[in-house]
Amino acid sequence: MNESQSVILIDDETDLLKALRRLLKAEGFQVACHTSAADFLAAPRPPSPGCIVLDESMPGMTGLDLQRELVAEGSTLAIVFLTARGDIPMSVRAMKAGAVDFLTKPVKDKDLISSIRMGLKKSADLELNKKEVDLLRGRFETLTDREREVLKFVTQGVPNKQIAASLGLVEQTIKVHRSRVMTKMRADSLAQLVVVAERLGITSHDSKTI
Amino acid sequence: MNWVVVVWTGATSASLMLAAIHLFVWIRNRNAWASLMFCLMAAFTAGMAGCELAMMRVTDVDQLGAILQWYNLSRWAVTLALIGFMHFYLGAGRPWLELTVIGLRTLALLLNLLVSPNAYYSSIDGLNRIMFFGQSVTVVEGIPNPLMLVGQVSLLVLAAYLVDTTWRAYSAGAYNRALRVGSSSVFFVLALSLQTMLVLWGVLEAPIMASLFFLGIVGVMAFELSEDMLRSTRLAENLQQREVDLRRERKLTDAVFQGAPGLLFLQSQDGVIRRWNKRPTNPSEVTETKIHDFFRKEDHPALSESLEKTFSEGSANFELDLVHSDGSATRHFFSTVQIEIGDKPHLIGIGIDVSAEHALSLELALQKEKLASVSQIASMSELSSSLAHEINQPLAIILSNAEAAQRQLELPVPNHNELRDILKDIVAADIRAADVIRRLRSILHRGQPVLKPVAPSSLLKNVLRLLKTDLDTSGALVSKKIPKRLPNLMADQIPVEQVLINLIKNALEAMHENGTRGKSLILSCAAEGSGVRFSVRDNGCGLPESGDWIFEAFHTTKPTGLGLGLKISQTIIQAHGGRLWAEANKGRGAIFHFHLPLRPETA
Repeated sequence: MNESQSVILIDDETDLLKALRRLLKAEGFQVACHTSAADFLAAPRPPSPGCIVLDESMPGMTGLDLQRELVAEGSTLAIVFLTARGDIPMSVRAMKAGAVDFLTKPVKDKDLISSIRMGLKKSADLELNKKEVDLLRGRFETLTDREREVLKFVTQGVPNKQIAASLGLVEQTIKVHRSRVMTKMRADSLAQLVVVAERLGITSHDSKTI
Repeated sequence: MNWVVVVWTGATSASLMLAAIHLFVWIRNRNAWASLMFCLMAAFTAGMAGCELAMMRVTDVDQLGAILQWYNLSRWAVTLALIGFMHFYLGAGRPWLELTVIGLRTLALLLNLLVSPNAYYSSIDGLNRIMFFGQSVTVVEGIPNPLMLVGQVSLLVLAAYLVDTTWRAYSAGAYNRALRVGSSSVFFVLALSLQTMLVLWGVLEAPIMASLFFLGIVGVMAFELSEDMLRSTRLAENLQQREVDLRRERKLTDAVFQGAPGLLFLQSQDGVIRRWNKRPTNPSEVTETKIHDFFRKEDHPALSESLEKTFSEGSANFELDLVHSDGSATRHFFSTVQIEIGDKPHLIGIGIDVSAEHALSLELALQKEKLASVSQIASMSELSSSLAHEINQPLAIILSNAEAAQRQLELPVPNHNELRDILKDIVAADIRAADVIRRLRSILHRGQPVLKPVAPSSLLKNVLRLLKTDLDTSGALVSKKIPKRLPNLMADQIPVEQVLINLIKNALEAMHENGTRGKSLILSCAAEGSGVRFSVRDNGCGLPESGDWIFEAFHTTKPTGLGLGLKISQTIIQAHGGRLWAEANKGRGAIFHFHLPLRPETA
């Protein structure tokens, strides 16, 4: 089975879990089931990419609580909510927090499966993005403090002369730092460097701590 | 200076003066018969004194005879007036004795008229002049007439009458009057009698001077009467003072009555209002007014009951609409107490206008009613939301299973075992959905519970059967405490089972995160009072700090609204005339109890 087909079902209704597992297995997904959020958190994390089909109303920790927790820990698992009585505020909260979809029971197989596929794609994208960012961050970490300062000014379009004045250095030194930054970050052009800085979330006020 | 003239004219004028004064008194007060009698007596005493003076100066016998007739008439009148005075003043004379004296005196008068020359003398020899107090006065010389004894007897009987009357008055308590008037008149009468005898028998040489003795009596009487007048004046003054005091007191009580805040009234036991500080303003009307007149007819029984309670128990409090003269009415709170006035039970009541408070309480009641209907609507919305959830779950199971089955069938070799399992699950879920609908319909479609005899143990057994899956998956240790002999209840089975289901599901949820402590669910029922108490005990997370609001609509401590909520459970139990309540479990968790009467009173 393909690892990218991993689906995690979390619902306190065991009969429904059983039915959904049958359905999703027939569709070719790899299915894991949990009867509560706590049960899921206690188990080893499933491999990413993966999609969680999450019931909102459960005794103990609710679906929204679990979503908040996963977002906080930077999980790349996608979440599809499936609930018996969802209202608009609840769905808005879920979607704002990054849920792929908010479905209500009973759900048609096509709707559920298309949402799960969307979720898996999103999870894969997130996973990929995460890998790239990790790579870029690794490169960024090889920069010296001075080079990071120069990177910050350069990506904001500040001319070399002005950077030199701001840092109390001569323009020639700035040019050297700038060329080292380009080499270390493996950027071919200024445009590429700007995109990298954006993905790393480097801002004008805080260049040292990313 | 002629002493005789001075004394007799003095006596005459003094007597006339006293007579005039008391005539005036009698004219002013026609009931003062004693004064009239005194007046007559004094007047005739004056007449006697005049006659005596004239007799002392006559020069021939014929003249004497004429004067003597007038003299006797005066004496007769004086005696009658004396008896009259004693009669009215002391009020103690025996009538027959009075009549005897009057009869004898009248006889003496008649004898004097009929006998010649008169009743004193059988024959008059002539007139003699003697020296009396240095004066020469005329006296009669003759042979005393035995008939004179009639006059003397009458005097003695008069004396006896006076003694008797005095004694009776004295015994009756009029000590001073009896002693002074009675004894002095007895003394003077006896002295007169003695003097007359001595003169007539020629033992004493003196003119007839009866008037002086009577003047003595008149003097004592005058003293008594003036004493009486003084006393009555003093009495009048006292009375006047007392009246002033009373008036002041009356004004004070009036001021207190009128100034009292709210209503103040005094009422006798027959319901008539004696005093009333507000209405009606005319006091003469008050005496005619009954307290019931100020209340609506339909309130009369309640009013009468409260008033009777006041008289039987001493006090009462009640609230009624007071009707005003313009027909409007305001709510009043009345407080009444019973008091004794002159040994007769009366009622004092105060009334305070509580119309503002009453309006407020009415409004509060209205608001409460509105709130109740709002909460009913809230319950309905909660119910429909629960309904959606309860039915959506099995529907979701059915749908997903059916779709899974469709996929199985599309496989080249369908797995028949899998298909059988799927169909079994679909049937189970369908039954579950139907059950939910049946239960909800039985709750929704009935205002009043339909009561049938139900065994408490069968209620619990049914519920445990229905919840078997939930209980099994929860892993809770379930123990039952059901006594063997329990009375049957008159109850609507499905709603009551639903309450038990709700309570057990709540308990399971409360124990959801018990972890290693384990889950313990204890179900029990027991006969209590005239009913049966059911209890669901768990060792879960327990009740919130302030426990009352757990029964309110919209309240929840859990994200999932499984079951129908405590509010609806409470409504069901209350519809059975029962009670649902919660308490903390010893150690950990909560106990929910409900008590159902064997037979609801409302049904």
